Amino acid sequence: MKKISVVESVLDNLPVAVFAKDANDDFRFVLWNKKQEEITTIKASKAIGKDDYALFSEESADYFRSVDKAVLKRGSLLRVPEEIIESRTGDDIHLRTVKIPVIEDETGRRLIVGISEDITENVKSRQQLESLNKNLMAANKELQETQLQLIQAEKLESIGRLAAGVAHEVKNPLALLLLGVDYLSQGIDPDDANVDKILKQMREAVERADRIVRGLVDFSSQRALSREPISLRVVIDEVLLLTKHELTRSNTKVEIDFPEELPPVFLDLSKFEQVLINLVINAVHAMSKAKSPKLQIHARCDSLDEVKKNEGARKYEVFRTGDRVVTLEIFDNGTGIQSKDASRVFDPFFTTKATGVGTGLGLSVSRKIVELHGGKLTVKNRSIGKGAVATIMLPTKLDTGKVSLKEPIEPVPAEPRKTGN
Amino acid sequence: MAHKILLIDDEAGFTELLKMNLEKNGEFEVAIENDSTKARETALSFRPDLILLDVVMPGMDGGDVQAQFESDPFLSRVPVIMLTALVDSTEVSDGAVAQSGSSIVLPKPVNFPLLLRVIHESIEAS
Repeated sequence: MKKISVVESVLDNLPVAVFAKDANDDFRFVLWNKKQEEITTIKASKAIGKDDYALFSEESADYFRSVDKAVLKRGSLLRVPEEIIESRTGDDIHLRTVKIPVIEDETGRRLIVGISEDITENVKSRQQLESLNKNLMAANKELQETQLQLIQAEKLESIGRLAAGVAHEVKNPLALLLLGVDYLSQGIDPDDANVDKILKQMREAVERADRIVRGLVDFSSQRALSREPISLRVVIDEVLLLTKHELTRSNTKVEIDFPEELPPVFLDLSKFEQVLINLVINAVHAMSKAKSPKLQIHARCDSLDEVKKNEGARKYEVFRTGDRVVTLEIFDNGTGIQSKDASRVFDPFFTTKATGVGTGLGLSVSRKIVELHGGKLTVKNRSIGKGAVATIMLPTKLDTGKVSLKEPIEPVPAEPRKTGN
Repeated sequence: MAHKILLIDDEAGFTELLKMNLEKNGEFEVAIENDSTKARETALSFRPDLILLDVVMPGMDGGDVQAQFESDPFLSRVPVIMLTALVDSTEVSDGAVAQSGSSIVLPKPVNFPLLLRVIHESIEAS
């Protein structure tokens, strides 16, 4: 057995590299342990008595010297979280280094003691993880884009379904305008009291036609999701205007029950209209055989505790205790949902409607849109009476909800400075 | 004596302007009913020579109202012109007139001189 001091033995068996330079002797190395040999692939016998310029590239040596001088100047420990040295085989070695200024008690020499930990494996794992994460982000982004495309495709389908009704609603003001033109073109008598009335009616007709056409254009627009604080009542009114024809034609009575003060919710108006149009049209279809079809639209605002009690909302994990939640319910008195279909209503392409009436995308897309708003959409049979109820729960705060509308923020890895130890 | 025309349409603005047009020359006396469920009652008290009937209305649609009229001994003889925004251009082209059973169907927006011509023809024929 070789006879060496305890300190030497400890130094040579440490899992970290340890070295020391003499600041009074041009920073020449006076200590170089086994791990330092391993990392640098330079033997202690070659290193001791030499300075950084003799062992490393000039660029690296300049860097080491500047750090050493800085350590001496500050007179205290300096941590270098990550530095990179190039091994003799050309691979990068990542080190976490601590440099300490000391005065040797026996000799009074000023030394720089360095301790380096090889973190190459950690860095490699981190880089792999970052690369995987980047791929995952890209896949997620692609999925989000596909979802938006699906939402838009479903919307175009609703527009097709609504178009005839909207045209009907525009033709009525047009009919009024034409009658006004016909009346006025027979000659205007300044004493005719009707003229003022007619002009007023014509102006209102233009405004009405404009409003519905604008509503349809806004609804059709394909924009990136953008939420704004908006009153649910405004959305409901817009939706009832776009579906007025379907509701009138099916003789559906609409009853709205909104509290006077309902906090605004953060919605993308056009996307949310899409959800409500789907729910209203579904209800109208479900009530096609009802004697007196009736659509009830109720809204209220609860704090989460109340919601829990009333709705058994523990499963609504998107909300936190104490959150204020706006609940919108749309009741119909139609056929309801058959128990065999209950678990499938949100499946894409699942439909109980005849070919050409529905594609089965409405509810699945609606649920996605509501989730994008940090909310929850459920559809079930009414607990009392015939028919179904669609329930939408929405946060009143913008930051609530698992799915953010913003683009995912990609982490920017801190670029470590490439140099030696 | 002025011919009596009853307008049944839930669009109050439209009926008001149509009434003004029809009454402008003193040729017609016009009554309006914007609630289709009261159409029969109003028709029986007004006793029109001709009825202009909308198709898509809340409560009762034009078809139901017409069926009600046809089963009434007095109203079944009154000519009905249906006005609707539902008709598309393939069904009725500009200036043309479609038939739906015993009724004439005109598209909305309606050209007033055409409506006037059809009204005259219908009253003469009855």
